[in-house]
Amino acid sequence: MSTATATSTKRTIVERLTKSWLYIGLIGIGVVSFVRIVTDTDDLTGAGTIRAAIIATCPILAAALGGLWAERAGVVNIGLEGQMILGTWGAAFFTYHYGPWVGIIGAAILGLVGGLLHAIATVTFGVDHIVSGVAINLIGAGAATYLAEAVFPDYEGGGPRQLNGLEAPTQITIPGVSDLAKDVADRHWFFVSDVASFIQALTTNISSLSLVMFALVVVSAVVLWRTSFGLRLRSCGENPQAAETLGVNVYLYKYIAVLISGALAGIGGGFLALVSSSGFSTGQTGGRGYIGLAAMIFGNWRPGGLLAGALTFGYTDSLRLRDTQSVHALLLLVALGLLAFAAFRAVRKQVRGALVVAVIGVVVMVWFLATDSVPREFTVMTPYITTLFVLALGAQRLRMPAADGKSYRRGSAG
Amino acid sequence: MPSDVDAVQLRGIGKRFPGVIANHDVDVTIRSGTVHALIGENGAGKSTLMKILYGVQRPDDGTITIEGKDVVLKSPTEAIDAGVGMVFQHFMLADNLTVLENMVLGAEKLHGIGDAARTEIRRISDRFGFDLDPDVLVEKLGVAARQRLEIAKVLYRGARIIILDEPTAVLVPQEVEALFVNLRELKDAGNSVLFISHKLDEVLAIADDITVMRRGTTVGTADSHTATKRQLAELMVGSELPSPETEESTVTDTVELSLDGVTLTDEFGRNLLTDLSLKIRRGEVLGIAGVEGNGQSELVETIMGMRIPSAGTIKLGDQDVTHWHTRQLREAGIGYIPEDRHRHGLLLDAPLWENRILGHQTRPPSAKGMWINRKGARQDTERIVADYDVRAPGIDTPARALSGGNQQKLIVGREMSGDPVLLIASHPTRGVDVGAQAAIWDHIKRARRAGLAVLLISADLDELIGLSDTIQVILRGRFVGTFEPSKVTPQDLGTAMTGGEAA
Repeated sequence: MSTATATSTKRTIVERLTKSWLYIGLIGIGVVSFVRIVTDTDDLTGAGTIRAAIIATCPILAAALGGLWAERAGVVNIGLEGQMILGTWGAAFFTYHYGPWVGIIGAAILGLVGGLLHAIATVTFGVDHIVSGVAINLIGAGAATYLAEAVFPDYEGGGPRQLNGLEAPTQITIPGVSDLAKDVADRHWFFVSDVASFIQALTTNISSLSLVMFALVVVSAVVLWRTSFGLRLRSCGENPQAAETLGVNVYLYKYIAVLISGALAGIGGGFLALVSSSGFSTGQTGGRGYIGLAAMIFGNWRPGGLLAGALTFGYTDSLRLRDTQSVHALLLLVALGLLAFAAFRAVRKQVRGALVVAVIGVVVMVWFLATDSVPREFTVMTPYITTLFVLALGAQRLRMPAADGKSYRRGSAG
Repeated sequence: MPSDVDAVQLRGIGKRFPGVIANHDVDVTIRSGTVHALIGENGAGKSTLMKILYGVQRPDDGTITIEGKDVVLKSPTEAIDAGVGMVFQHFMLADNLTVLENMVLGAEKLHGIGDAARTEIRRISDRFGFDLDPDVLVEKLGVAARQRLEIAKVLYRGARIIILDEPTAVLVPQEVEALFVNLRELKDAGNSVLFISHKLDEVLAIADDITVMRRGTTVGTADSHTATKRQLAELMVGSELPSPETEESTVTDTVELSLDGVTLTDEFGRNLLTDLSLKIRRGEVLGIAGVEGNGQSELVETIMGMRIPSAGTIKLGDQDVTHWHTRQLREAGIGYIPEDRHRHGLLLDAPLWENRILGHQTRPPSAKGMWINRKGARQDTERIVADYDVRAPGIDTPARALSGGNQQKLIVGREMSGDPVLLIASHPTRGVDVGAQAAIWDHIKRARRAGLAVLLISADLDELIGLSDTIQVILRGRFVGTFEPSKVTPQDLGTAMTGGEAA
């Protein structure tokens, strides 16, 4: 009897999750498609936009994954930004000498060094995680600037603040699928074309490093949730004292987690230097480490969620690089999203929350209807404003690892 | 299958921390296949001893012999390998992981983390009647189920010697009975159980052998068939146990606090408190009994103005105070002993005299106009330290340096100053030693005689029965029964608290 109930609850959970993700995805595409047709901005889901979105997503995704690993083991890694900056330099240096793949490994190693600093400070010495993280951001930025000035001016295409002309990792095109998808996408049908241009972007000149990034999401999910290594690592973030009483070496797992976290952030930096642009320049991370952290929080400390978060931020980030027309269309999208969210809350009888969201939604809607374009300055702000909105609205029923950010000392059990 | 070899022998165990001797010359022998009780007051060194036996801490002196072999336990892993398992007083469970995940953590090699482990958990659960579902999140489990999970965790690792650190502290009487049934089955299956407690009735009911600890060392052993409560109590404290009994009624006719239909809803529209009405008169102690998490905290926070009720009125004397702020309420004469003195009652790193000011920052002697009156506050702290027997090196000592009992006495002294008309006491003697407990009971009784109205919330049913004039039982945010302390037993209360037939 209890066996039967257990398996059936398990199955329904799986079904519910996959189904709801599927529905949300389908409805999302439908709404975007609707907005595209209403506002007549084909750019909104053009293959070019989606390509740009994927490129913008990957560094954020890398940082978010890095955050996931560290925080699942109970260490808040706000130093992701600094580790990313270190990664940009590492990628540039090693790519210049040994080619892009060694460059990526170099980026990972430099990020890992940043992670090591963070682990020593927070795990061994019990320093406050935020203090240590901020210090690493400062050190990372300073070190990268210094190293660039010291090394790159002598290189071909280099200067004190940049190194251009780096070789990028291979791009992949799947011939038949790519052309077919482009053909369908160009017809601008409702829904179908939007899906097609998505496929087109995924099969035409996509960077192999992007595919690696997406694969890393799956790998992280499997390792963290389907192996005993992952269970031990997560237990350190939920209740390290309990883990200790069961013979888990908490310090070791926290170290491993923070090192992996730093390496992932480093890879994200490498992506910025090699794929997003074909060269290193100081300050090119532009706060993506923080946005990655936000994407992870939005994703409720889960791989699928943080992927959704990173895609959201990546998509808005890419739109700002296109024309103001698209950002204007985005207003309608935001308004619809807010109204849907308000309805969702109203159904759950959260009246006050529903009202606030609905009012904001209506204001954005009025703004959209009353204007034809948005100021250029505004478009630059879109990703940050999205971050703010998404976190403020979406981050209300989140479940972070219970011992996240707390200092842990050996022997404190019982 | 009791064997001739003793399960555990501890000889001459000593453990020192900076400034404290936690254990010295401790000798305990646990016979194989028995339930062995280790009793003693809070701070007698029981928990330290258990951590030593479980490898969490290492002894400075002495030897540990397990099943005839001398062992050195450097970590819990080694203790587990030696066959020792421990159920901590504060459960060592990760709420956000499932039963299965908590169970296999650290022991993944035994049965993996998948279906084989699931089968093994079901087997253990069925064998001992633990009723555990492997795929439920631990946060969904009640206290008793969590404890069964902890015991199952220990068995899963093949432990033959099971340490239970104050397992009944969090259970209602019926759950204690169920636990004892489980323990007897464990014993029958050949395991040895070390049962730590300071509740003598329970010890006499379950144990085969008894060892008594006082001030860090073992002071005697007793046979549970011949020992009496009085003997054990005297061994434990060196004197007769204090009891919380009240004298004649001092209840007057003046209603000091009245709640009428108070309802509290959370942000999702669920009722935390439903239609609560009560009256406390001057000189009356109203006790609230209930399993923790049934609305006691919310009730206190609502009265104290930390939450605003969604319906109903709260009156203090004749005034409607439903929408008053906490400070107004305190100024109107409500004293408040919070349930968690570390989180709500004290600034642990601030000196005692600053802690004296908390909640009284607008009133003399702590304040003069808009300024803090340092001198007045310090003098009054000296008074509290003397009158309430707070044992501290001085009033500049940080609160953290005091023992739990002395911290609590300071809070009681603070809340009693300024002549309150109503005292809200949430678990006033939780985690304090027997001496401090008796002193706090005395203060409450004295204040009651002087006409104070008291709302007493406690998990200690003897305390409730002994101190209260009336007892209300709260269950899922509703009052489900009113009892006369003179006519009620802990068992009756336990039944009402868990939703059984109310009298």
